[in-house]
Amino acid sequence: MAKILVVDDEEHIRLLYSEELKEEGYDVITAEGGHGLLERIEKDKPDLVVLDIKMVDYDGLDLLQDIRNKFYDLPVILSTAYDTFKEDMKSIAADFYVVKSFDLTELKKKIQMALEASDGS
Amino acid sequence: MNDTSMLAFEENPEQVEQADWVVGIPSHNNAASITHPTAQAAKGLLDYFGDKNSVVINCDNHSEDGTKEAFLQTPSEVPKIYLSTPPGVVGRGYNLRNLIVKAVELQAQAVIVLDADVESITPQWIKNLGEPISAGFGFVAPLYVRHKYDGAVANGIVYPLTRALYGRRVRQPIGGDFAFAANLAETYLNHPSWNDMVGQFGVDIWMTTLAICQGIPICQSFVGKPKIYQNDRNIVPSGPVFSQVVGTLLNLMIHFQDLWGRVKWSKPTAIYGFGMGEVETPTSLDIEDDELHQVFIQGFVQYKQLWESFLENNIYNKLDEIRELPLAHFSFPSEIWARILYSYSAAYKNEVVERESLLQSLVPLFVGKTLSYAKKTERMSIQQAEEYIENECMIFEEAKPYLLNKW
Repeated sequence: MAKILVVDDEEHIRLLYSEELKEEGYDVITAEGGHGLLERIEKDKPDLVVLDIKMVDYDGLDLLQDIRNKFYDLPVILSTAYDTFKEDMKSIAADFYVVKSFDLTELKKKIQMALEASDGS
Repeated sequence: MNDTSMLAFEENPEQVEQADWVVGIPSHNNAASITHPTAQAAKGLLDYFGDKNSVVINCDNHSEDGTKEAFLQTPSEVPKIYLSTPPGVVGRGYNLRNLIVKAVELQAQAVIVLDADVESITPQWIKNLGEPISAGFGFVAPLYVRHKYDGAVANGIVYPLTRALYGRRVRQPIGGDFAFAANLAETYLNHPSWNDMVGQFGVDIWMTTLAICQGIPICQSFVGKPKIYQNDRNIVPSGPVFSQVVGTLLNLMIHFQDLWGRVKWSKPTAIYGFGMGEVETPTSLDIEDDELHQVFIQGFVQYKQLWESFLENNIYNKLDEIRELPLAHFSFPSEIWARILYSYSAAYKNEVVERESLLQSLVPLFVGKTLSYAKKTERMSIQQAEEYIENECMIFEEAKPYLLNKW
């Protein structure tokens, strides 16, 4: 069972994602923000991170950079309410992005693709 | 192949015998432009890697326009070496091969390559391409902000195909400016896929693909300024250049078929050089719609039978439908384009048509696809056009089972 870490400062989003992704058979853990995130990843070893871009205290794109620097191949899906972040080229370090919605069909599809991605080695 | 067989001439005025860092500038008749990258490279090496022994090398094709003199006379505190292929041997790949041989001889730890005719190179490019090598990456591909019509072959063929095949998103796989660590040099010198196409303009995709397939850590680095050439370039490259780049890509598919057959979807490549601040806007490029449309239409006169001989009926029929579209409504669906490229790949492997003819027959289709891209992205910002290309890449990835069936 793949373990997914949902990082979002909005509680209702964490709850929504947790419930729906658990129904899909994933093991879901959550974090409220970026504080101690790298240590959390080190400790809990998620297979994928769903990362909110705009959190009150943290910039998700900066966190994405930190994650990439330390966990080269860990899949990260950016989650956002707006798509203006794409103007920042940092966003290309993410595996995918999804626009936040109560319908998680797109997120589930991207999670599956990111987990399936293989470099052939 | 003899590693040094292409080196005919060397001028090493400061008798450099060892260098940790090498900046190589391949050239052919670039006397008017080579001073700028040479001076910027030397400054970058001094500013950012001043504790290293460095050298700037011009690897040339026996230019007769004074490239050697322009290079050697460029004021620089960093030593310079001039290398050349024998008269009559022309090719960027042969230049880079000479460079790599020399880098090995100098026991270099890192090699940075810069184009000889780019006027926007700054010392920062040396920093941003070189630092990731110091940080442990084996190959550094460039990331530039480019005009949406610049790099048509990369946007329409090389990036989507490489990404779908090998599963790594390297946005500028034939960018021309890149860096690699010494441990890749032996691979480059000894790999059996070297051929004359690589010796010419196939070398960039060859080096990038070998780096990806070696499984070494790769990153992309923002170099800073947009890439601006000193001379205007055609949006669609000349026939030989197109054949060399695409032919090398298809040859490598044959060589690495066991690897890419196992790859599913793609992963992002690490990024270096965040936080660069404001990025400049690249200069604009114009597309001649009518001209491109005519090249596409004329392709049917020359290649109709050839296309019908190996493209599936439904794909050829779709091409016929596209031909009937007036210019104002011209559109070349990406799903069809991906299947066409996959069909070409298999046809190239199986030699159902003589390979050079096959590659040339792709040109009008590529021109049609480029026209369609230009029309679709006409009102888009550079960023929106980038998203469009990303979506096209997903179509290539989704269509990969078609390639596996055809192969």
